[in-house]
Amino acid sequence: MKNIWIMTWFTLREAMARKVFLFFASISAVILIIMAFVFGLMDKASFSFNVSGGAHLPYNNPITMIEMMIVSPLSSLCLLLAIFASASFVPIMLEKGNIDLLLSKPVSRDQLLWGKYFGGILVVLLNIAFMVTGVWLIISLKFSSWDFSFLSIILAITFTFAVLYSLIVLLGVLTKGSTLGMMVAYLIFLLLSPVLFLAKDKVADFIQNKFLKSLILGTYYLVPKTSELMGKIMSSLASGNGIEDYQPILTSLAFLILTMGITISIFRKKDF
Amino acid sequence: MNSLAIETLGLTKVYTSSFKKQKVEALTDLNLQISKGMIFGLLGPNGAGKTTLIKLLLGITFPTAGSATILGENISGYKMKYKIGYLPENHKYPAYLSGGEVLQFYGKLSGMESNELNKKIDELLELVQLMKWKKTKIKNYSKGMMQRLGLAQALVNNPELIFLDEPTDGVDPIGRKEIRDILIELKNNGKTIFLNSHLLSEVELITDRVGILNKGKLLREGDVKEMTQNKEEYKISIEGDSIEKLDDEILRKAGFAKMNQDYYSFKVENTNELNKILDILRNNGIVIKEMLQQKSSLEEIFISLIKESDKEKVQ
Repeated sequence: MKNIWIMTWFTLREAMARKVFLFFASISAVILIIMAFVFGLMDKASFSFNVSGGAHLPYNNPITMIEMMIVSPLSSLCLLLAIFASASFVPIMLEKGNIDLLLSKPVSRDQLLWGKYFGGILVVLLNIAFMVTGVWLIISLKFSSWDFSFLSIILAITFTFAVLYSLIVLLGVLTKGSTLGMMVAYLIFLLLSPVLFLAKDKVADFIQNKFLKSLILGTYYLVPKTSELMGKIMSSLASGNGIEDYQPILTSLAFLILTMGITISIFRKKDF
Repeated sequence: MNSLAIETLGLTKVYTSSFKKQKVEALTDLNLQISKGMIFGLLGPNGAGKTTLIKLLLGITFPTAGSATILGENISGYKMKYKIGYLPENHKYPAYLSGGEVLQFYGKLSGMESNELNKKIDELLELVQLMKWKKTKIKNYSKGMMQRLGLAQALVNNPELIFLDEPTDGVDPIGRKEIRDILIELKNNGKTIFLNSHLLSEVELITDRVGILNKGKLLREGDVKEMTQNKEEYKISIEGDSIEKLDDEILRKAGFAKMNQDYYSFKVENTNELNKILDILRNNGIVIKEMLQQKSSLEEIFISLIKESDKEKVQ
């Protein structure tokens, strides 16, 4: 456990040395400062909430809606940057002269890999926690409404990254490079997951061809559900409604476990 | 108690290409025993299998066949690595760390406790003369400084067995001498050192035993002094130049030949014959000023062995 923590800690150091995470933290900080300034200037009465007359909104609390309007695009940006910044953690570890040295130490291969994995997740967790907590604090102070359930989206966003990062780690071990892992993660996050969700939710019922229908559903269940995790699951958590459908979480978790299992089994036998 | 630091039995490594068509034997049936407390030098041309052997011993690469033990423990585990230090060739340390932090990182991974580690780091940085640059980021270090830091890293956990792959690479002559002195000091403190180096003259200066490896096969292994001593050949310096005038069967057989104004060279079959020759010379009133056993340099032996081995392969 101690070795995993050492690797995790030094991965965090590596992330800090790379400016991407600091860049995101700076963006968050600037947005929080602007928010604090704007909300400080505006009077409570100037916020008129008209939820019932508008389109359907998944939030029963208008304050949560404001929070989500700020946090949603920021968290997506954070994930995009995190994928970019963390894709090279494992390939750098596997570079000649680096991995030789690490493997010569009394550390198991599993510990090295878990350390890198948790290190990447910890970086994202800290960034997301800073941003979400900041937004929540400013808005809660302004409206004197303290809804702690909003903070649980920190875990939802971090979990989404953890699932994608498991794939990045696998492809990093296989190719010793970061490009493929990054491309596949972006493909899933930006295209595959939203399209498959839409296909399963709206299109599959109208498809007559059994094979095509099975193919769509099979692919849907196989691919991590980042779209739902960052969409309806995050919204439910933010509004304090709890999770109605655990399927996206459980299938994504199964994907994570399977991917990490395969990665570890490959890494244990790999010659360097 | 096991007196061997390293023992390999039929250790073999075959690399197979991704498409399983081409096989490369990096190491073939290697049997090697290295006792504790010595400096062992592994020599060989590029691609001989030197680094592969270290990687196999440290569990960085897995053997295709055979087995090995380090300090009495099988290499398949990783617990024995608490007693090992390693300086790889072309090592890469995280560039965002300072020299002190690099030692912190690897020291912690080697199981060192913070208090003990902090003391050790200062001690080692003094030893490799990098104390002034303890807090400087290593991206600003020169090649020689990196190599010295690498040596400190290899010693951070006070290991019993130290693997050094080209430790003097990029180090200036004074730095090399300092590294050699450190290695001798380590040996005097009971450490075992396994040294891979291209610099044969350097290896000859400090190693007790050497192994010569070519194309994955161990061509020769033995004591450096024994290996470099050309047992049968001597050179002798006498007063005057009266040897040619002596007519003796034994002297003729020894093939006395004048090397320069002062020295003659000759060959003998054994010590008995050597003594007989000395008796003949003395009995004939020849004054012997000096007699030396001829030595071949490690480089000469290395080159001749590699050439022979390459010829055999061609045939």
